[in-house]
Amino acid sequence: MKGICGKLLEIDLTSGKTKDSPIPGGMMEKYLGGRGLGARLLFDSLPPKTDPLSPENVLIFLTGPLTGSMVTGSSKFVVVTKSPLTHGWCDSYSSGRIAVELKKAGYDGMVIRGRSNYPCYLRIDDRGVEVREADWIWGRDSFETERMLKEMEKDPSVGVSSIGPAGEKLARFACINSDLYRQAGRGGVGAVMGSKRLKAIVVKGTKGAGLHDRTRLVELNRESYRRSQKSQVAQARKKYGTPLTLNITHAGGILPTKNFQFGTWEKALEKIDSVGVHKSFKSHKPCLSCFVPCSLVTEVAEGRYKGISVEGPEYETLGMFGSNLLIDSLPVIIQANILCDRLGLDTISAGNVIGFVMECFERGFLSAGDTEGKEIRFGDGEAALAAVEMIAYRRGFGDILAEGVKAASQRIGKESSRFAMHVKGLEFPAYEPRGAFGSGLSYAVSPRGACHRRAWPPAKEILGDYPPFTTEGKAEMIKDLYDQNCVLHSLLVCDMPAKFIPLSLDDYSNYLQAVTGESFSTDDFLNIAGRIETLIRMINLREGFSREDDTLPHRTLFEPLPDGPAKGQFIGLENLNRMIDDYYACRGWDSRGVPTEATLGKYDLSGDAPKG
Amino acid sequence: MRVLVNLFGTEVRLRQEVCLDLPSPALKDILRALKDQYGGPLEKFMKADLSAAEGCTILVNGRNIGSLGPEETEIQDGDEITFTVLAAGG
Repeated sequence: MKGICGKLLEIDLTSGKTKDSPIPGGMMEKYLGGRGLGARLLFDSLPPKTDPLSPENVLIFLTGPLTGSMVTGSSKFVVVTKSPLTHGWCDSYSSGRIAVELKKAGYDGMVIRGRSNYPCYLRIDDRGVEVREADWIWGRDSFETERMLKEMEKDPSVGVSSIGPAGEKLARFACINSDLYRQAGRGGVGAVMGSKRLKAIVVKGTKGAGLHDRTRLVELNRESYRRSQKSQVAQARKKYGTPLTLNITHAGGILPTKNFQFGTWEKALEKIDSVGVHKSFKSHKPCLSCFVPCSLVTEVAEGRYKGISVEGPEYETLGMFGSNLLIDSLPVIIQANILCDRLGLDTISAGNVIGFVMECFERGFLSAGDTEGKEIRFGDGEAALAAVEMIAYRRGFGDILAEGVKAASQRIGKESSRFAMHVKGLEFPAYEPRGAFGSGLSYAVSPRGACHRRAWPPAKEILGDYPPFTTEGKAEMIKDLYDQNCVLHSLLVCDMPAKFIPLSLDDYSNYLQAVTGESFSTDDFLNIAGRIETLIRMINLREGFSREDDTLPHRTLFEPLPDGPAKGQFIGLENLNRMIDDYYACRGWDSRGVPTEATLGKYDLSGDAPKG
Repeated sequence: MRVLVNLFGTEVRLRQEVCLDLPSPALKDILRALKDQYGGPLEKFMKADLSAAEGCTILVNGRNIGSLGPEETEIQDGDEITFTVLAAGG
């Protein structure tokens, strides 16, 4: 079959042994690739109750059948592992040249096990893989690491993914960086890579998986391009990038403000929103194989941070380091973005954890004596930047914060868990769920913890005509959104062009047919998504998760939002339970969230049911 | 009546204050008056029949007019009306 290589690269860093491993027939038909294949591989290869930072955990990099195919938004890969933050399923996505190069080198992905006796990096090409010594780059930040490896290769076009000091220090929300500014950010995949003493992966391929019908693919891409040129959404996205979302979440009252205490922040407007960011606009930057360059490069024009530049900041960073910390200085946010990228931290979790600390200071739960004399208070940008470094290097109190907001709140106690904003240990991203109840359900039932990429409910509850403060129909809404993104994340393409060009699953069916020659209907896709989400549920159940873990923080459940369009709203336990009951029923899971026998049979997963 | 108008599209305008002379506070009358008085910038967001253009939506105080009921909704002095493209994600 064209479009896929049919093999994985397996690497055991303990023994140094590597091998090519064929992907069993029928996998694409049942799981597509990306998230779906990752679910199958993790279920089959991860010993239950494995310590995520032990050699026994597996770190899986996967592409999908559309990766490297010229389909817009297809330079993506996913990292699948057991999360050191949640101790459950983790899938973390990134753009990056490495995805395309891996495919060109003849691999659909790689499965990394064990722990090297020495800092190492992987060098992969058409001939296979070498495990190389990495003492000379260990301790370097991600930008330096990528630059040094490209210089060593004497080839700026190699794909490089690396971890920064945060990953080396096993900060539990460390990310994996690619192409400088692209991150597999969520869930601590960088810490898992660091636990294996794997500093970087360098890939250069020359072949590829071929295309079934190049002419048809070019036609489809031309049509998508034409549509994007006519689409107001795509053109607005191209001009303003994701910062436009901040205007929408502010208008809808779901902008996280002051550690999710409020849902609006007037000071954000024209400073850290689309207007503010556009004032620092320098250039557009598309991902490889995408014709809608929705990422903006910004540069600070004056002041203390004059001259610094970043690809971003994206909405999540503006929300989590801006309104959530009451920081209205775009230069400080840009500097925080650069620091997190260089040191290898997820900006979402970092902003969330620092917001939590700021609230602890505000409430008197922490004082300067706890944090090496440094007060970390709302609005203090320099304190936030110092906290980023403390976390990345696990210095002083940063050692506690590097464990994530859940663990930090358990350590601090004093009812701080009430405002530790996470689900299953993964920190909330930049959407306040009290202003759109579907977001609350989406966070609660997400297998990787509070996640904004499995579904984007504001499309329905703020921009669409679903009433935001009700529970009716929300389970079906979230299931549909989950399943659509599950297909995209398995194919594996960026879910953004689908929304702003827009492209339907039928369009992706056409793309897949052109690339592989295989025909899938939208119903086929959605059935596969149901199988994948059910298998991921089984992974978490096997790890000891239960319905009790599908919940929300005290603040979201019980504290009325004090401002904005959602003033007075809170989700409440009864509402949450009703939505979860409905969601499980939609999925064919019982009231405990356990897939029924009929559901397992429907998805051909009966053989994976727990024995006895 | 005074309303605040936001435009989130290929051009972003925030909190533009518009004073309207209205026959009634009904949303449809407000939208018609805005189209007449505010003119050009709204053309990308609103069709001739006052419904949202393709890829766009209209919010009143952060709520989609589809979930409010466009026929019944009445606008108060100082309300915020947002015309936005369906930008998604971040």
